[in-house]
Amino acid sequence: MNEDSLKLTSYFGERQRTADNGFAADALLDLYGQRGIATSILLRGVEGFGARQRLRTDRSLTLSDDLPLTAVAVDTRSRIEGLLESTSGLLRSGLVTLERARLLTGDLDVVGPIEMPDDETKLTVYLGRQERVYRVPAFVAVCDLLHRRGVAGATVLLGVDGTAHGTRQRATFFSRNAATPMMVIAVGPGERISRALPELGGLLRDPLLTLERVAICKRDGQLLCAPPALAGTDEASRPTWHKLMVYTSEAALHEGQPIHRAIVRRLRAAGISGATTQRGIWGFHGDHAPHGDRLLQLGRRVPAVTIVIDAPERIATAFAIIDELTAEQGLVTSEAVPTLRPAGLPPEPASRAG
Amino acid sequence: MNVLVWTAVVVIGGAGSLLRFYADGLVSSVAGRDFPLGTMVINVSGAVVLGLLSGLALSSSQYLLLGTAAVGSYTTFSTWMLETQRLTEERQHRKAVLNIVVSLALGIAAAALGRLIGMHL
Repeated sequence: MNEDSLKLTSYFGERQRTADNGFAADALLDLYGQRGIATSILLRGVEGFGARQRLRTDRSLTLSDDLPLTAVAVDTRSRIEGLLESTSGLLRSGLVTLERARLLTGDLDVVGPIEMPDDETKLTVYLGRQERVYRVPAFVAVCDLLHRRGVAGATVLLGVDGTAHGTRQRATFFSRNAATPMMVIAVGPGERISRALPELGGLLRDPLLTLERVAICKRDGQLLCAPPALAGTDEASRPTWHKLMVYTSEAALHEGQPIHRAIVRRLRAAGISGATTQRGIWGFHGDHAPHGDRLLQLGRRVPAVTIVIDAPERIATAFAIIDELTAEQGLVTSEAVPTLRPAGLPPEPASRAG
Repeated sequence: MNVLVWTAVVVIGGAGSLLRFYADGLVSSVAGRDFPLGTMVINVSGAVVLGLLSGLALSSSQYLLLGTAAVGSYTTFSTWMLETQRLTEERQHRKAVLNIVVSLALGIAAAALGRLIGMHL
């Protein structure tokens, strides 16, 4: 399969419940499983806030029971459009966005050059937790390949639930969780990514990946461009917002605290609509070889990704803060995301999440 | 020792851990999240109460219920350690050392103070 698809992403709180009192995350992934969505993944963030400016963080054990969640579902246009109403109905509050993505599965040799090879491209590879390639974990093999092919950086995020090739794969306590989804997000020039695609196809038994266009705003502290101006709405007249993704390292500090923590705190103080940080388990940027945690270590050596979404009128404020905090390192990309339910307009203001 | 006392240990122990959950949540959301102050407040306040109980002349059942069940489930060593470890993994070494040293110093002082109050009651 090689076709234009849609990526539906929901940002909400872990304790959020549906109208019939189940957890929203369970209900959402049940829905994706029932519909046999090609790929979906539920990610648990380490820190974040939404339109109600309530900070969720893993800093204390008690507060860790209500972390920010991100649920991503990718499939063909018609199948994702069939999910929109139910997804919005299940989430009492939070943000839902709908982006275009190209979904590739099966034989990647026949993909051919991707359109606009000059553009910066975001590649997302969906893998199973225990998937292996020549006795090496698949995510390590994918990162090595992308690093050798000169891609700017990659981050591996571990999912806790999801679907792969239409089958539900939920992590449980007493299980190897072999097929529980994880994702590798990589950003680089379209031409380099398209050259790596057939190799990825050779590496993975059952490849499932998406391609999206992005603009690179900053690389290694160097400002390349501010987030480009957007058309106000998409073809279905949904308001288009900015999505900034900030790739930093857990080891990179700003005034003694990790950059991603500083970014979330400062954005919240500035009244931005929402931000979520995911901590990766493996990754690289620039010339550094791919790395992750070691058995014996004091500080962690993993990458972090912070996603910031807001309306065009507030994105300059957000970008100025991010620009200041990533003065020396970090990769910042910008995308246009049509929003189904903008944060700040929840149907039920009484709910706890936000 | 009878069934009633053991049942009371279960109930009071459960209540103590719930109290900790809500007290930690309250302190953490009021005082900001950059330092695990909630756990410190819980452990220090627990040390005052346990010191106070040890200063009173209690029967063994009373001590089991109030000391072991109530204060034992309310305070937490493991969370203190986990939150210190979480600070070190983000390279917040100064805060991690402070969390250990201040908790120890305040904790011992709190237990002594509680005991002093208990003996004068």
